[in-house]
Amino acid sequence: MKSNQLILASLAGLLFISPAPAAEDAATNSAGPAQIAPANPAEAAEIEALRQEVRELSQKVQNLEQERQVGQQAASDTNQDQIQALDQKVRILSRERELDQEAALAAAKTQPKLTLNASGFTIASADSNFIAGLHGVIQTDSRSFINDGGGTLGKNTFLVRRARPIFSGTVFKDFDFNFTPDFGGSGVVIYDAYLNYRYNPALQLEAGRFKSPVGLESLQSDPWVLFNERSIATDLVPNRDIGVELHGDLIGGAVSYAAGIFNGAPDYTTPSAPAQDVEDNRAFAARLFFQPWKASKITPLQGLGFGVGGSYESDRATAADLTAGYKTDGQQTFFSYAGAIANGTHWRISPQAYYYYGPLSLQAEYVISDQQVTRTAAPLTSADLQNTAWEITGGWVLTGENATYNGVTPKHPFDPKSGQWGAWQVVARYGELDVDNAAFAPLAPFAAAGSASAAQAWSVGLNWYLNRDIRVNASFSRTTFSGGGLGTTAITAQPENVIFTRIQLAF
Amino acid sequence: MKTFLNILLVLLLAAAANAKEIKLLNVSYDPTRELYQDYNVAFAKYWKTKTGDDVVVSQSHGGSGKQALSVLNGLEADVVTLALAYDIDAIAQQGRLLPADWQKRLPDNSTPYTSTIVFLVRKGNPKTIKDWDDVVKPGVIVVTPNPKTSGGARWAYLAAYAYALETYGHDDAKARDFVKRLYKNVPVLDSGARGSTTTFVERGIGDVLLAWENEAHLALKEFGSDKFEIVTPPLSILAEPPVAVVDKVAKKHGTADVAKAYLEYLYSDEGQEIAARNFYRPRNETIATKYAANFSQLKLVTLDQEFGSWAKAQKTHFADGGTFDQIYQP
Repeated sequence: MKSNQLILASLAGLLFISPAPAAEDAATNSAGPAQIAPANPAEAAEIEALRQEVRELSQKVQNLEQERQVGQQAASDTNQDQIQALDQKVRILSRERELDQEAALAAAKTQPKLTLNASGFTIASADSNFIAGLHGVIQTDSRSFINDGGGTLGKNTFLVRRARPIFSGTVFKDFDFNFTPDFGGSGVVIYDAYLNYRYNPALQLEAGRFKSPVGLESLQSDPWVLFNERSIATDLVPNRDIGVELHGDLIGGAVSYAAGIFNGAPDYTTPSAPAQDVEDNRAFAARLFFQPWKASKITPLQGLGFGVGGSYESDRATAADLTAGYKTDGQQTFFSYAGAIANGTHWRISPQAYYYYGPLSLQAEYVISDQQVTRTAAPLTSADLQNTAWEITGGWVLTGENATYNGVTPKHPFDPKSGQWGAWQVVARYGELDVDNAAFAPLAPFAAAGSASAAQAWSVGLNWYLNRDIRVNASFSRTTFSGGGLGTTAITAQPENVIFTRIQLAF
Repeated sequence: MKTFLNILLVLLLAAAANAKEIKLLNVSYDPTRELYQDYNVAFAKYWKTKTGDDVVVSQSHGGSGKQALSVLNGLEADVVTLALAYDIDAIAQQGRLLPADWQKRLPDNSTPYTSTIVFLVRKGNPKTIKDWDDVVKPGVIVVTPNPKTSGGARWAYLAAYAYALETYGHDDAKARDFVKRLYKNVPVLDSGARGSTTTFVERGIGDVLLAWENEAHLALKEFGSDKFEIVTPPLSILAEPPVAVVDKVAKKHGTADVAKAYLEYLYSDEGQEIAARNFYRPRNETIATKYAANFSQLKLVTLDQEFGSWAKAQKTHFADGGTFDQIYQP
């Protein structure tokens, strides 16, 4: 550009210079336009040469101008190509990201899902047809017997009441399994080991070792029972049994049913019950439970449930079908059989109900256990003993959370730094158990010496739910004894007063 | 007369009461959505008239290889209508869901229609793409799906390879180099043909899309012939997408008869017309002549001609460690 300006300036200079002689001539030669009159041939030649030079310079300027324009166009085209190339690169990167996201989404659909939360650890296939879960219950208790002077003292103790890993899951979408051993006692005991086929919620088939469908409190999951031990009413119902059961929920859960065939279990079976039936006869157990307003909009009635459970079997002359004994809250035996065998029918019936509304919980059941027994020593008499029991349990969650059959979930889990203290619940219970007086016939008793024919127990307690998984509770239970007439033992000679505490982890 | 009408009414009501609803699942490859949308309506009408029963056909679409894998992994297809015989062979051999000689059960090796691979370019064809040689030039961005998952992509690869074989005197090394240069120009690999169409047409990526012929026509129809144009290379491959009943699944569902009829109807005049209207080359010569204007004339080489068989082509080119894995570097 500067060279072009220089050339133009030179030309302009030449133009000014050239006419100068003409201007001088014009002053002396006034007629017509100024003409450059060569003074002499040499000057003419010089002027012509200068003109030629001007023409050549002018041409050069034009050429340079054209080249400049062409160069600018080429630069513009190059820039355009570069922009297009960059645009393509950006689009390609964007599309690659899009495809990666699609692939990730597709892969996520086939990836197993791992969950670890308050309900334990679960791994499930992408389609949830296969699920394996690890849950558990650990209960560390203390029992302190007070005012038990005289006779054999109740044992004050710390104990691991339950230490159960629970292995559960689903295979092929419709088959559930559960395997629960317990390490809390002196040895390992298998509590549950069953398979459940779900054709649909209304029709399911369960087989293996699991809870017999009779007692309401018995069927309640261990972590959610309000006290350390179940009531004395539960002494009369079977615990776990081995068998096959058809069960399901109908009408959206408004009706639940269960009916099964089992080996048969005595009252208050210990967990280490025989792995197989002790005699040939099978036991039948069934339960029907109604929650008519469960799905209704009548909120105060949604938590009302009532029903009846029962069992029937025919025992064939065996002591193993008789209970090992009825126990107090403190787990001390206050009644047992001696010199007797189960011989004949054994039926049970248990009307039961619960009511949950907001922080209020109420639960009650009445149990009749009617068993035909025969003495094994003279006189070889038989009797039809009808033992009865009932209990009522109530609770109130002081912090306002809802009480349910499956526990309390704090709205504000324990976190003192944030001023959160979990949920608190006061609980109370009263129960009675009455053994048929015929068991204590003076000349032909079926009961062991020292057994009481009746026990009355009341309990009060405070439960602290730190969060869904951890609970701490403390309670006091008092059990009094009456009747029998066969003397007393250290246990039945005085009321039992026990202070319980528990720290529980359940997930 | 009144009695007759009453009897007829009763019979019709009885027939309606007895009419059942039959469900079929057609697992197909990616670009056949529009074809089977039209075809399913036609078949349902035909079957209703013939038997009084209602047929509801559900569709699943995706890359042909992926679809075959889905069926092997449990997707309960009553029929499969995939891009290449090899994918159905895999279902037969690995899943044992249909007999090994399935291809003999329907005419023309169970391929009621054919297709080929063409080029879809931007309007005005700014990169002047006329033939396969133009596609491999440096600076040309090519869009085509992944041959590992897409049947269309395998046909496109084989079309390019076949061109190279024809051009370079069946020199395999030169043909390999040719496809290597081709895939060097491919920046993105979608899993199926429809994804590649999206990449080219909607995302604006690339200078040329190696497309199923029907996909190219559908793109013009949907997005406008003022934006794209089809360039038919002088040589391409005859793509023969086959169809088959999945015997074990159809037997389990009780749909064997309907499934067979569903595929047989593809060969009927109506089925062939629907194929042609959706830019698939019909087997029926009369209908092919009727719709000749829809299809360009070009030299079509067959797979058997150039590569022997699908089994050989798959093993050589698309299996793990095959030619594609060797030449393509993402």
